[in-house]
Amino acid sequence: MSSLPHSQPRISFASLTPNNLGTVRKLNSVLFPIKYSEKFYQDILLPETEDFCKLVYYNDIPVGTVCCRLETNPQGGPTKLYLMTMGVLAPYRSRGLGSQSLQEIIKAATASSKPKIDSIYLHVQISNASAKRFYERHGFKEIAVHENYYKKLVPHDAWILERRIES
Amino acid sequence: MAPSGTAAKRALPSKESGLFKEVLNLYETRQLKKGLKTADQVLKKFPEHGETLCMKGLILTHMGRREEGIELVKKGVRLDLTSHIVWHVFGLIQKGEKNYEEALKSYTQALKFDKENMNILRDAAHLQTQLRLFDGLVETRHTLLRLRPNLRQNWIGLAVAYHLNGSLREAKRVLEHYESTLKNIPDYDVEHSEVLLYHIRILEELGDYQEALNLLDVNAKSRAIIDRTAIMEFRARLLSKQGEHDNAEQTWQALIEQNPDSYEYYRGYFSNRGIDLDNITDNTREKALQSLRDFSSQLPRAAAPRRLALDVALGDDFKALAEPYLFSGLDKGIPSLFADIKSLYRNNDKQQVIASIVETIREQSAAQSPQPTTESEPPTTYLWTLYFLAQHYSHTSDYKRALSLLDEALGHTPTLPELLMYKARVLKRLGDPYGAARSMDEARVLDLQDRFLNTKCAKYRLRAGLEEEAQELLGLFTKKDAPSPGADLEDMQSLLFLTEDAGSHQRNGAYGLALKKYHAVQKVFNELEDDQYDFHGYSLRRFTLNIYMNLIPWEDRLRSHPAYVRSAIAASRIYVQLHDDPSLASRSSSLSGLSDAEKKAKKKAKKALQKVQEETKKAVATTSTNEDKGLEPGPPKDDDPTGSKLLEHAGALERAWKWLLPLVTLAEDNIDAQIAIYDVAIRRSKYLQAIKALKRAKILNATYPDLHVRLVDFRKRVSSLSQPPPEPIGSVVKAAVTELIPEEVSLETYNSQYVQHHSTSGKAILTSTKVLQILGSPVSEIESAAFGSLNPEVTLDIETALDIQELLQTIKSSRASEFRLACNKKFELSTVFKSPNELAELRRKAFATAVAEEEQRKQEEVS
Repeated sequence: MSSLPHSQPRISFASLTPNNLGTVRKLNSVLFPIKYSEKFYQDILLPETEDFCKLVYYNDIPVGTVCCRLETNPQGGPTKLYLMTMGVLAPYRSRGLGSQSLQEIIKAATASSKPKIDSIYLHVQISNASAKRFYERHGFKEIAVHENYYKKLVPHDAWILERRIES
Repeated sequence: MAPSGTAAKRALPSKESGLFKEVLNLYETRQLKKGLKTADQVLKKFPEHGETLCMKGLILTHMGRREEGIELVKKGVRLDLTSHIVWHVFGLIQKGEKNYEEALKSYTQALKFDKENMNILRDAAHLQTQLRLFDGLVETRHTLLRLRPNLRQNWIGLAVAYHLNGSLREAKRVLEHYESTLKNIPDYDVEHSEVLLYHIRILEELGDYQEALNLLDVNAKSRAIIDRTAIMEFRARLLSKQGEHDNAEQTWQALIEQNPDSYEYYRGYFSNRGIDLDNITDNTREKALQSLRDFSSQLPRAAAPRRLALDVALGDDFKALAEPYLFSGLDKGIPSLFADIKSLYRNNDKQQVIASIVETIREQSAAQSPQPTTESEPPTTYLWTLYFLAQHYSHTSDYKRALSLLDEALGHTPTLPELLMYKARVLKRLGDPYGAARSMDEARVLDLQDRFLNTKCAKYRLRAGLEEEAQELLGLFTKKDAPSPGADLEDMQSLLFLTEDAGSHQRNGAYGLALKKYHAVQKVFNELEDDQYDFHGYSLRRFTLNIYMNLIPWEDRLRSHPAYVRSAIAASRIYVQLHDDPSLASRSSSLSGLSDAEKKAKKKAKKALQKVQEETKKAVATTSTNEDKGLEPGPPKDDDPTGSKLLEHAGALERAWKWLLPLVTLAEDNIDAQIAIYDVAIRRSKYLQAIKALKRAKILNATYPDLHVRLVDFRKRVSSLSQPPPEPIGSVVKAAVTELIPEEVSLETYNSQYVQHHSTSGKAILTSTKVLQILGSPVSEIESAAFGSLNPEVTLDIETALDIQELLQTIKSSRASEFRLACNKKFELSTVFKSPNELAELRRKAFATAVAEEEQRKQEEVS
């Protein structure tokens, strides 16, 4: 039976809506060790972040999420995109879903003109070297270490990784 | 001739006579306000003029002033009994009330005084069709054709009437005559094409296949018949019937190529070759299988030949075909795969082969290295395999295994709603309705815009008796301006909601509300029956004859629909209970014992009533407008919101019988229906009906547990009659009693013989316990019989155990709670045998979502 051909997997993305928020909550509850506040769930539904918050589907089943928020400078400086969460369920890892999701976000950030996005940045716990390598493969660079970033997780420190968006 | 006195009263002076004609015209063009004024002008001088009074009444009814209008119409009829106009108007009113019998009587009266009135004749024909009075229909259609032979639809009308009346030769003759008179038919004329197909259909029904083929071929070639698919279907069928198998095979083959997933075409193809796909024998198996294999390779994208091959194949052939079928379904992630192949489980070998194939796939997937390669299997295949196996084990009642597979799948991918839905189903089956409702809710919150999930979840809440909570969910998808979600769903004729809601009320002991919902189901079917009325005219006018001739027999069998049959049986059971124990009504509806649901219903009804009153006020305020409200009465106001009138003892059996009457012919093969018919008939002392139902049930399944109780009940009732029923019924009853239970056997012996024969069946034990109760055995004997169901070798399902528990409670057994505790232990995963306190806790938990709980366990970290 193992000789039978498999169908090609389909990978797709969907925007977040109040209706599929339950799926995001479910994914977050199994993917991440922390509980996200209600504010988090309100923010990812804001219309301006629609292109930067996605559900990731594998063969039409939601298996991952990526959520960012826009950080505008009140003084009128450049806008940054902060990648808050990105995760894929364990059985679906190493299949390019993470890379495709990140590329989707980078593409959306590059295409965005109102506001124009200057860079994407994120935090990675310093125990998580493989995650760091993953982001570096996609053009991110370490720019700083944020000490005591995680209050209740050990180790407490996090790298700050950043990727410039060139227009 | 009408007596001159009346005629003199009818005749109006020329001025008023002109005004009256104007009234008729204004009514035809629905200028109601003007019509009313003009009628009043006539009535000012001739207040006793019957025809004018009727017209005024008709206009008022159209304007929404129904009661006043009908009063005038009746008065008008009384004043001029020989006018066709008054009877026509009266008929219109009755037709609007769906009182077809009375309406036809009025039309017949009207026709006495105006024999050739086209409008009245046409309406009468529609009424005769609705009432299935086909002899009269043929006559009416004849008259119409004689009066207006140049109207095409009059010819068709007569042919259809003959067809309905079973006179196919006459129908054929009419159509031939009609076709010969046609001249200058435009190209691509849909109506003409339909008539020709109808003509061919009649020839087919007559068995004149060659003639049918000739007609088909000539008109297909000349393109007079434009429906190409219909041509091929007719051709294939006719050639098969005519015995031209080679030609037929080609046509069937062409049809299959056109639509390779139509099971009907495959059936036709094989039956043409003498193979009945639904009854494969060892002689036909090999041939059928070979053809299906050929079709599968010719039509690589078609699923039907592959699936059909699984029905046909056995042994190694089956295994070889099932493997790729199942694998491809799992790999593609077809959620309905199990539902698709479940019917194969009727064959035990096939069931085992399927289970072992899918288990092998699971083992192989589980053994795969976690590091994926390009060739490796997608993780979803494993997921769907677990899902399939869970369904398999649930189907074989191995609920624990099913749950553990689902939990493994949920650990793998927690976001697939199907898994949670199926978990809910397994929990429901193993007797945990609250857990089931909760699991369904978890599925629902994954995708709030999925109406299917929402409805399912509401249904599961109803099953758990969570009436209000279910309404809340249903309200998310119903019209916002409806008086209540339930009212909207009732308007939308949602049988699912009505039957589930009724069942929920019934389980909660609110019998009045349950009956109300069942009666709403009955109303839906009445409406479906009424709805055909418009087609008697429409289908002839638009020449949609073939579909119309399918509609009529469908309507005749309308109440064989499972929702009707189930509701009829359930409602009749409540009525029988009420009849046997009238105190049920007072317990169910006494004010002090009003359940929450009933109180709510009362409140809601009050609100709805207010709304209706406001609307009627508004309506009265606006009657001066021309708005036409039609002749159908508006929705009647609900003066019995809790259904307490339905619970009244008087007439309960008659109401039950009204439900069951259609089932006498439409549910002949449904043993539960036959038993329900017996229960009501015997209580109404309709012995012949009761005997017929018992005999029918015995033919269907002589050892059916519920039947056993009825046989005993029947003999006991007959033997306790103070005098036998009058002849000739008396001797029929006497003969039936001895035929159904051997005379020499006492009922006690008969009962113990029955339970000995079925000593390992929980249902049989329940039944024999019921019989002991009927025979008035001592409580201790009933108890020990009931506890026999707990022996390890007895197969006892939860439903039966619950029935036994209820029976023990009814006879006020001191061991009832002992039985409950024993069941609680026996069905360890179920919750239905828990104590009331424990149930209250479970009920509360049914709404706490798992995500929320999980998150509570986690510590909050602000990012």
